[in-house]
Amino acid sequence: MLKYIVRRSLQAIPVLFGITVVCFMLMHLQPGNPADRFAQNPKITQAQIEAFKHRWGLDEPLPAQYCMWLGACGDKGVLNALPGGNLDIVGLTIALPGGDNGVLHGDFGYSIFDGQPVTTIIANRALPTIILALTAYVIWITIAFLAGVYAAVKRYGKFDSTLTIFNYVGYSLPTFWLGLMLIAFLSVPPLKIFPASGMWDARTVPIFGTGDYWVFVGAHPIDAFVDLGRHLVLPVLTLVLVSVAGDSRFIRSSMLDALSQDYVKTARAKGLSERRVIFRHALRNALLPVITNVGLEIPFLFSGAIATETIFSWPGMGRQFLESVGHNDYTVLMGILLITSVVVVFANLFADIMYAVVDPRVKYD
Amino acid sequence: MTGAAGPSPDYEVALVSLNQWQLAWRRFKKHRLALIGAGIFLGMVAIAIFGPLFVPYDPTFVPVPDSQFCPGSTTQLAYSGCPPFTPGHLLGTTGSLRLDLLTLVVNGARISLLIGLGASIFSAIIGTIVGGIAGYFGGWLDNLLMRIVDIMLSIPILFVIIIFAKIFGNGDWRVILIVFAIFGWQGIARLVRSLFLTLRTEVFVDAARAVGVSDLRIIFRHILPNAVSPIIVSTTLSVAGVIIGEAFVSFIGYGVNPALTPTWGNELTAAQDFISQGNWWWPLFPGLAIVLTVLGINFMGDGLRDALDPRSRE
Repeated sequence: MLKYIVRRSLQAIPVLFGITVVCFMLMHLQPGNPADRFAQNPKITQAQIEAFKHRWGLDEPLPAQYCMWLGACGDKGVLNALPGGNLDIVGLTIALPGGDNGVLHGDFGYSIFDGQPVTTIIANRALPTIILALTAYVIWITIAFLAGVYAAVKRYGKFDSTLTIFNYVGYSLPTFWLGLMLIAFLSVPPLKIFPASGMWDARTVPIFGTGDYWVFVGAHPIDAFVDLGRHLVLPVLTLVLVSVAGDSRFIRSSMLDALSQDYVKTARAKGLSERRVIFRHALRNALLPVITNVGLEIPFLFSGAIATETIFSWPGMGRQFLESVGHNDYTVLMGILLITSVVVVFANLFADIMYAVVDPRVKYD
Repeated sequence: MTGAAGPSPDYEVALVSLNQWQLAWRRFKKHRLALIGAGIFLGMVAIAIFGPLFVPYDPTFVPVPDSQFCPGSTTQLAYSGCPPFTPGHLLGTTGSLRLDLLTLVVNGARISLLIGLGASIFSAIIGTIVGGIAGYFGGWLDNLLMRIVDIMLSIPILFVIIIFAKIFGNGDWRVILIVFAIFGWQGIARLVRSLFLTLRTEVFVDAARAVGVSDLRIIFRHILPNAVSPIIVSTTLSVAGVIIGEAFVSFIGYGVNPALTPTWGNELTAAQDFISQGNWWWPLFPGLAIVLTVLGINFMGDGLRDALDPRSRE
């Protein structure tokens, strides 16, 4: 068992390594390089640009640059970032923040757009995404689970057929369009029930995540909670409607699979109550693939978030990603891409290990 | 499987021999949802091909701007657009420019479907080649290719597509098609590899090898035909995914340029600003076209799965 876990974890390492290579290459697809910002500046000579390039390793071959970007080959430079240290150029001193450079040091560089550390930007945007994704996730898994199991138990019943139709439709809805439609019908007169965008009411609540906000939460916890809840309704509803479709179908077929097994027939033949057969025998086994699926869905929390956050102006990572695309802010983009990919790798690892833990039939070799 | 008659000559039984495609078609025909789906999809394709010839306006036609009123209405609706069933505009018009929505939706079908079909077919070809090579040859090559697939499946691919579309996209739909093709093959590669892994141990492969058939010929003439059903099903279903993906990328403004070519996605971009004006029909109809098409494809894909691969039925 332990051997399996270790082996499976070791397998993740080349994938993680590959992800950094892909991110680095994507970054290099962008036209130009960090030295280009001096090109239009008449005060800066060609020699100074060369010196800048040399200082930050931009004149090195790509593999060496990659190694430096990772932070495995010395402190010479994070070429994706405004590099550390001060750069003295005639008539113009650019103060550049420094530090332990490199991705492996947890340093993703600095935003090209506003100079903030990438980790700070991502940290600020992570909480809203987690709040939205987690709320939606808990709700849709619960609904999908109840609906899927019930539909399987009453197979071909009215509920089952309705669920099948709902699943087909839900599965075919583009997330962003569903969001638009919910806004069009639920947050525009005559039915102006829920706010169409944002995460807080700017008239009554301070900006989310600031010190003022937490003071406000401390002083008026109920108001803050209600305000957040109201803004959560439509984005959560969007994610839930789209996601319940796929999941309840999966849970239904997993439960049907379990119900057709011999041990269920045995249990029925023994004269156990139907209730006991379903809950003690079938359901427990139907849960196994569901557990794996729960882990595998974590990537969707991010890619689903990008559409939902865009439509509802939710200040999360997905929206930050699109803002950074708009600004050509490649350091932030790579930071988000790298972090989400690493989360995905660990989610897959977690799902595999969980599966091995809960299902003793899994072979560990 | 020849249609030879039975041993007894006393009575004749007409035995019709059906090849596997005819058998599959028989099963497909019995699948009601699949037929509906195929009908919807083919209808959309027909609209995409012939529709633009029949719609009353040009997609870039801007109506006479001096009228403050929608035709047949005395309400001043000029800015937020005319609602559906306005005379001359069955689905209504967009806000501000008052473009005819029916014209836009029908014209949008062309590029949306073209990108969906084109990118999916390209991806299927790439995926089949990569998966086929990995599964057939195995060893380090398999290991390398599958790690690449693992990496691509770990990165949220929509993010990468958006970055690519931003760097290389110039509003041309062909660029978007290629971007979706380049990043859509991993799933099929994994599928084809697993099919090849089992098929390459079959006796007919050994037989072919024994008589000296080349690897390439074994892959394409002997193994691939046996793997073609799951590839078709998976490609069909991926068309739906690409259509939704393209719509989103165009919607956020990094896909197809709405001024050059209307697609269902880029028609929605500007609609967002008019929702608060009460214009619900502008975002509704292009989106409904997407939903209907995707629904049709999903019905069809499930029907194809049951027809082509009866063992996989639930």
